[in-house]
Amino acid sequence: MKNLIKITVFATFLLSVVALSASNFLDDETPIAIVKKVIRQVQLRETQESDWTAVKEGEQLMQGGEVRTGTKALALVLLTDGSGLLRVRENSILRIYGERENQKVNKNAFIQEGKVGFEVNKQEDEQFKFTTPTMVASIRGTQGVIDSDDNKVLCEEGIIELAALLGAKEAGVLTAGNTAQITEEGKLVIYTMTDAEKQLLKQTKQIAPKKMIIETDEGILEIEYYSEDEE
Amino acid sequence: MFKFYMIVVFCILIFATSMKAQISNSVSKVNISDVIENKPVKISVSFIPVTGITNVVLAYKMFDETEFKQYDMEMMGDSAIYTIPANMIRSPYFSYYLSIYFENGNNETYPLGIPETGLPLEVMVKSVSAKENEVLVLTPSSNDKITTKDLLISVSFVRAPDIVDVKATQVFLNDENITENFLFAGDLMLFNSNNFPGLISTGTKSLRIESYDNSGELYITKTMDFKVLSEAELNAAKNQFNYKGTFEAESRNQSYNDNNTWFNNSSLRLTGKYDQLKFGGYVYVTSEEQKDRQPRNRFSGSVDYKEWFSLKFGDTYPRLPNLILNGRRVRGLEGSLNFGFFNITTTLGQIKRNIEGKIIETYDRDNAPLGSNIIEIDSTKYGNPYAMVTLGTFDRQIFAIRPSFGSGENFQWGFSYLHSKDDTKSIEFGGRAQENVVVGTDMNINLDDRNIIFKSQAAVSLLNSNISIGEITQAQIDSLAIEGDGKVLGIDKDQFVSLKDIVSGFITFNQNIGPLNPEKLSSLATESLLELNYFDNKLRGSYIYRGNGYKSFGQDFIMTDRKGFNISDRVNLIDNQLFVSLGYESLQDNLQNTQVSTITYNNLNTSVSYYPRFDFPAVTLSYRNRTRSNDLKPADSLYSIYNIDDNTDTYMAKLSYDFTAGVKHNSNFSISNINYNDNSTSKLSQKFLTTSFGLSSWWMQNLSSYFGLTYYSSTSDAYEYTYTALTFGSNYRMLQNKLNLSLNISPSFGDFEKYGFDFLASYLIIENLTVSMQMRYFNLPGISSNSVAGLRLRYSI
Repeated sequence: MKNLIKITVFATFLLSVVALSASNFLDDETPIAIVKKVIRQVQLRETQESDWTAVKEGEQLMQGGEVRTGTKALALVLLTDGSGLLRVRENSILRIYGERENQKVNKNAFIQEGKVGFEVNKQEDEQFKFTTPTMVASIRGTQGVIDSDDNKVLCEEGIIELAALLGAKEAGVLTAGNTAQITEEGKLVIYTMTDAEKQLLKQTKQIAPKKMIIETDEGILEIEYYSEDEE
Repeated sequence: MFKFYMIVVFCILIFATSMKAQISNSVSKVNISDVIENKPVKISVSFIPVTGITNVVLAYKMFDETEFKQYDMEMMGDSAIYTIPANMIRSPYFSYYLSIYFENGNNETYPLGIPETGLPLEVMVKSVSAKENEVLVLTPSSNDKITTKDLLISVSFVRAPDIVDVKATQVFLNDENITENFLFAGDLMLFNSNNFPGLISTGTKSLRIESYDNSGELYITKTMDFKVLSEAELNAAKNQFNYKGTFEAESRNQSYNDNNTWFNNSSLRLTGKYDQLKFGGYVYVTSEEQKDRQPRNRFSGSVDYKEWFSLKFGDTYPRLPNLILNGRRVRGLEGSLNFGFFNITTTLGQIKRNIEGKIIETYDRDNAPLGSNIIEIDSTKYGNPYAMVTLGTFDRQIFAIRPSFGSGENFQWGFSYLHSKDDTKSIEFGGRAQENVVVGTDMNINLDDRNIIFKSQAAVSLLNSNISIGEITQAQIDSLAIEGDGKVLGIDKDQFVSLKDIVSGFITFNQNIGPLNPEKLSSLATESLLELNYFDNKLRGSYIYRGNGYKSFGQDFIMTDRKGFNISDRVNLIDNQLFVSLGYESLQDNLQNTQVSTITYNNLNTSVSYYPRFDFPAVTLSYRNRTRSNDLKPADSLYSIYNIDDNTDTYMAKLSYDFTAGVKHNSNFSISNINYNDNSTSKLSQKFLTTSFGLSSWWMQNLSSYFGLTYYSSTSDAYEYTYTALTFGSNYRMLQNKLNLSLNISPSFGDFEKYGFDFLASYLIIENLTVSMQMRYFNLPGISSNSVAGLRLRYSI
């Protein structure tokens, strides 16, 4: 009997927490983000249990929705609260959450793998967090790249607060022009951005692959490259 | 019922109070673009057909400032234009007036009589409405170029309050309602052109989104323009040289009483882009160009590469620190290199064209009278050695350079040098040729994401008021030293010679140079500003010092002989719906003791603005107190006429209200009461009551109307001056919006009588080609009867 009471109380508590949490999320009908542009194979699923389906421009990302990009693919994801733009580069998976507090919207983008470039507007009393399996980055109006594969954060503009989720769980602040590397031990190493990383920042902004076709005696040679045009 | 009540309240206010209008002998109307904080404001002035306007100066100041900033307006046919930069526009309002200069040397202000009897006009500055950030157009962005298949229109109401009825939103594309094609997903509206093949054509598109509250009242309208291109056009636009241009030609006849004058103007504006290179060109040719006036034709060209290289030539308007050179037309070259850590801006050219004077009468040596326009002339050429002349204008050249360190995003430190000199050989009959050197430094520090802003600048000037006599010679120095007991112009002779050796490398050195004694700081101008943006407060404090001898030929309009401080604060309350502003300023003149007494100017400014989110008028209430006083007493028999002791109280209320009563209306009402109490010996106290009401109505999609009633009353012990002005008009578009007709009638009654009539018809003949016809008629009974009839052609590529 006691156990039954305990279970009932616990279940009531759990349901209350879930209900309270749910009430704070954006209403079920409102997407957290929309897919603004798609290049090559980009897929979406509403939850982790759903099947992946091909994405078209204008497709909506609801609470917990995921976007997956294939080889040489790209998805431009626009937050519906107007807070910014995410560039999901090739071979990446992004999952997105949003929580509303009155007029304010706190966002959390979980980058399971790959690279995501971001341009986030200044957040007044709001949170915009990027989470990877090894770190969490809190953004307040900045541009940069989160590289989940190499456990790196590149900061082009603004300030990023970082914390490792494993090992030593070191935390720190990353400023413009610098890179943060999270080590396997959970340490935070901050250094001046290298030329290669600057190039990566530049590449992350490129969205329009161009094709050059050269006819040779041996056949047609197709060269595909990214231009510097931005969206 | 509430709407009806509001209309009744407004009507009662109209008829129960006095109304205001502006009278002018030369200005027919002033158009001001939307006035929103931190957005540029374009001011366009149309003139009554009077001839002989040489230039127009716009003077404006923000709510918390005392000094009017003054800038030359760009003259274009029968209008003048100036755009106040975005960073100058601050709520709750700004004041402005115009100074209009005529060929015959006369000038007048608009409104008339400033500063003696007239009052500057006040324009409300809207704070960026909280509503602006509540309804978001996510895609497209303004001026985007998109292909027909990529068009995605997405509107987010995620940040909108519950009173907004998302489902009631109406979306128009080039005035066509396309709402039914939108998908509503919670607080998001989406339109994907792929779902509606053939619906979207190529061309420039104007997107208008009207959102409504739960009671059906319009909540906010958002508009933007973008371009839809075909795939081929977009690729071409990306890869090729892109250009656009506008050609305009105008011919108009102006009649002033019995005098008819034809004016012909044409202009061509071209802009182009190739990769990161941007080009621009502008030519304006007018029949008003005459050799005996300053230039009215304009030409300019520009090349920009990214953010770090810019070259302009022709008529340019360089901006250095405003104490030195700001907004003045320079015909020549302007270039800048911006590397971030180091930048340099330079300009070189002519700021005044040489205009030859004319001999009126010649005199022999014995009979030449004294006078500023009596000059020595070549007797072998003109028979006599002296002549009375109309003084000409020397060619005045300017060179300015400003190297600076830091990008300005967080820090920048600049150093400026300006040299300007009249060419004494450019004309034969001139007055005193002058030369000017200014050196200055400026610093800008922005901290904590621009929440802390510090700006400071300082400059010192040297002016030689007559370089026609050339450098002072050693013999003249010796002679002056003998006359001055070893001192030359108050300075020890040896020091004077040392000073000459140093200064003559920069400016012609003779007895007309000043100041020679910099210790009195007479030629120093400096100002510093600290702004703190925290806790929804914008707190600003500034200090200025302007010596009475400070002069820069690059900045004609700066107020000198003043020092003092200014402090102001604006608080945003109730989620940016309520704005409370408070400002205080205290200034003094007579810094170098060159006047009989020192005047102290104190200004207190207060204002409360309320921009409700619900269906209620936006309201601004303000109170201003201005005092001027000096230390002379009315009883002082010697200096009593210089006694200044006055106090001005200004109360103002402004309301604006958008409502629907059958159709959409926009209304505004303002009343201001000014009591000027003159406690000096002059006793020139005055009272002003100014009131105005305006109502714009949109009867149909293509028919709108405007009604305005203004009243002005000025009273003193000696006189009373009142008049009422009415303006009403309509705008009608027909023939698939190709023909646009507008009519405006504006009579005024009372002590100022005027009848005005303005008709404009414009017709889009083919895409990009518009022809317009304008007819205007003004009658000032017993004074003048003026009309203008003109034809204008506009072609865009």
